[in-house]
Amino acid sequence: MPRFDEGRPEMTLEEFRLLRDHVYAHCGILIHEDMKFVMERRLWPRLEALGLADFGAYHRYLRYDAQRIAELEAAVESLTTHETYFFREPAQLKAFCEELLPLLEKKNARTRRLRLWSAGCSSGEEAYTVAMLLKDSGRFDDWDVEVHGTDLSRRVLAVARRAEYGPSALRATPPDLLERFFVPVGVNRVRVRDDVKAWVSFGHHNLADEAASQLVPRTDVVFCRNVMIYFDQAARRRVLGVIRDRLCPGGYLLLGHAENLLSLGADFELVHLKGDLVYRRPELPNGEGR
Amino acid sequence: MSDAAQSLAGQEEVRYRALQAVDPRAPGALETFTAGLHDESWRVRHAAAEGLRRLPDAERVTARLISVLGERGETGARNAAAEALAGMGTVALHPLVLLLEHEDPDQRKLAADILGQLGRAEVEDVLLRALSDVDLNVRVSAAEALGRTGGEAAVRALEALLDAETSLLRLAALEGLVALRRAPATERVMALVDAPLLQRSALRLLGLCPPGASTERICQALASPVRSVREAALVALGTQASGLGPYARSELDAVARAVLSRIPEMTDRVAQALDVEDVQVRAGALVAAGALGEASLALAVAEVAREDRLLREVLFTLGQLGPEGRRLLLKNMGALSLPARTVAAEALVLLVDATSVPELCALLEWAEDDLRAVVVRALGRTRSPQALAPLVALLADPSLSGTAVRALEQLIAVHPLAALAALEAAVEQRTTPAAVAVLGRLGGAQVLPLLRRLARDADAPWRAAAVEAASRVSGDAGLELARGALADESAPVRIAAVRALGRQGGQEAGSFLGLALKDEDRAVRLAAVEAVGAGGATERALDLEALVRHADGALAVLAVRALAKLGKVGSGMLWDALGHPDTEVVKAALAALTAAEGAADGAALAVSLVGHPRWDVRAAAARVLGDLGRPECLPVLEQALSVEHDALARRALVDAVARLSGR
Repeated sequence: MPRFDEGRPEMTLEEFRLLRDHVYAHCGILIHEDMKFVMERRLWPRLEALGLADFGAYHRYLRYDAQRIAELEAAVESLTTHETYFFREPAQLKAFCEELLPLLEKKNARTRRLRLWSAGCSSGEEAYTVAMLLKDSGRFDDWDVEVHGTDLSRRVLAVARRAEYGPSALRATPPDLLERFFVPVGVNRVRVRDDVKAWVSFGHHNLADEAASQLVPRTDVVFCRNVMIYFDQAARRRVLGVIRDRLCPGGYLLLGHAENLLSLGADFELVHLKGDLVYRRPELPNGEGR
Repeated sequence: MSDAAQSLAGQEEVRYRALQAVDPRAPGALETFTAGLHDESWRVRHAAAEGLRRLPDAERVTARLISVLGERGETGARNAAAEALAGMGTVALHPLVLLLEHEDPDQRKLAADILGQLGRAEVEDVLLRALSDVDLNVRVSAAEALGRTGGEAAVRALEALLDAETSLLRLAALEGLVALRRAPATERVMALVDAPLLQRSALRLLGLCPPGASTERICQALASPVRSVREAALVALGTQASGLGPYARSELDAVARAVLSRIPEMTDRVAQALDVEDVQVRAGALVAAGALGEASLALAVAEVAREDRLLREVLFTLGQLGPEGRRLLLKNMGALSLPARTVAAEALVLLVDATSVPELCALLEWAEDDLRAVVVRALGRTRSPQALAPLVALLADPSLSGTAVRALEQLIAVHPLAALAALEAAVEQRTTPAAVAVLGRLGGAQVLPLLRRLARDADAPWRAAAVEAASRVSGDAGLELARGALADESAPVRIAAVRALGRQGGQEAGSFLGLALKDEDRAVRLAAVEAVGAGGATERALDLEALVRHADGALAVLAVRALAKLGKVGSGMLWDALGHPDTEVVKAALAALTAAEGAADGAALAVSLVGHPRWDVRAAAARVLGDLGRPECLPVLEQALSVEHDALARRALVDAVARLSGR
């Protein structure tokens, strides 16, 4: 079988580790040693774009070049998989709609204000999905609602703001919701309807940057699905600290179905819904801080 | 949430916070945390277990935890105590070993379980003795624990247990050997595959046996009506395929193909397995898909690329699905997920021919940046003149122009006249300065008038491109334009001039580079340092030596590398570089050491760094010492090796020791 990688430089283990450590220091994303092959393939286009001969030169570029910050972001974008789609993990979304939304409606009845955060929102599918589910519930029509999507990658945020998607992003979208919440914009492409977009905002945020998390509004629910997989234990603890800080007491954290908080301390309590397990920031004693 | 529930949650939070606030050194902390182990809430118990691990008197804590293990009926507390003990490390070993002698078999079982979680090799003997315990549950737990801790003796004991009368013990032994990744003789494992209770574990262990008869048996299991058996077989198949070289892999694929092609509905089953949660099952399904060579699986195979860890196998498998599979991918690109599209595009690069240009151009219209880069490479491989225009147009895209230049180079080799015309047109229409650079490489002396004109252009990017292109066409013209460009008000133009001078070389270029080394712009100075090395301007060596001490690590690194290129590595400069606070400078100096034959104390310099705090510096120092071939350094290297914990630095030290000791 012919090789896909003819003429491309190999990444030595030492280069791999230097680059990995550099990325980790920037954003807490840990790339395991068995991912050297993936890192090599993902960064080849960066070497090509910059006209660099090998990964040692790329490491020096990230250390010293005037464009190093922008390039580091480009590298992280290449290394993280922005794979997402509308209505991903339907069982969890069903539990969110049927069990959490009624609780939130009751809890916030006085303020009629609801804030949700899609952390690691990638190209926006999750944030828009959440907004669509809120609309579909009919419970919050005249409420002050905001779904805030954040991601480390500025490039995917641009896609999220454009809100135009193709078949891959829509592969799990029920036909009736497709009709209700999207408008066609070309062959096989649709755009999220304006009234949904009006509930959704986006911003750039590095989850490892504790100080910058102050820019994220206090929120009732955090969706942080399939994000923790990129972090090691220490970084996960830090990220969970950030999330806990931004959650209102009694607010909910929804992780991906393959993720859990085992061995990460117990700052969150596990809540057994009928259809799913979610985490909750405990209520303060005596309703303090509410 | 009801008020009552809210109130309960609040009480739990109070207890949780109270435990977190306990000072581990305070009197009574042990009692408080021990009480917490018995709390009704798992969060509180977890906090108590964590708190106990922080207490200063670890031996006392361990003794108390062992006593909690004996509290029958307190399941939550016992589990929390076990969790705490497993986190205590070596201090818990001795008490747990003693607990293995307890009269209560339940206690002995717990002890074996926790010792397994601790995973320490020093308890192997104790666990081996526990294999003779009168209680079956203890023996099973000991066998499972040996699978986490064991060395050679554990492997032998687990192999012996494969003949045990009790299925449960045989199962624990199989699982233990799988965990240790140690397979006994193939025939011995094959004999266990037919026992329903053992089948799944035996199949997984069979995956660790050499390919051949074992592969055939594994593939036969894919005909099983039981899904979990089929999945175990797929895991085994994936394990066997991983790490095989091309020859051994093709033998495995041939065996698999012969068996799988006889199983009805195999393609459907593989397609289902490609979509399951378990990564190991998917890895095996990829091997099966590749062996079947079934083109209709191409889309499902590509979608497995959503799992990063399987990227290598996905690429390999797509290659096995042949042109038909790749055509299917091309037709369905829009329906694939982003990672699948990217990997499919990589596969397509090998398929394209002159007829593919329209389809590739259509992809360029809508695809994401990562995918577009692959498509640009594919356009170069089409060898079609139709690909020239889109590629020249892409020179204007900063993120793709580098890839487009390389793709164009492939086309220029087969269609030089058409390429020249396309590039000239692009320059005339002022599409992008990148076209000038390619034109300079291709056009020869006939494009010099154009380049001279562009060197006076109003826009700096065009001037810079012309200056650099001219240096590739003609030495004299290049020098002339570069000299003028050194006085340009734009830093990018001066950088282009500096690069041109480096390419030109010679005394005149060297003196101009001396000016550039003092340029007000850092980027120009950096380019000048590189150009001095590239152009062999030895008369500038003193300027570079001064820069080695510069606080800017980038300047210092480049200066060291340039001096090495010039063959001007002196020990004074090396000491300066090795003392630089930026470790990249230190490593550059170490790399230069082997070229510094004049530096008599080179070995001493490297020796001074084998104990450096950073692993990469230690590794670089070890490599240099190995290269220098000075046997008197051997004791230092051996000493460093005895205390080295970093895997990469260790490897460099082992290599250096082997070289110096003639092993």
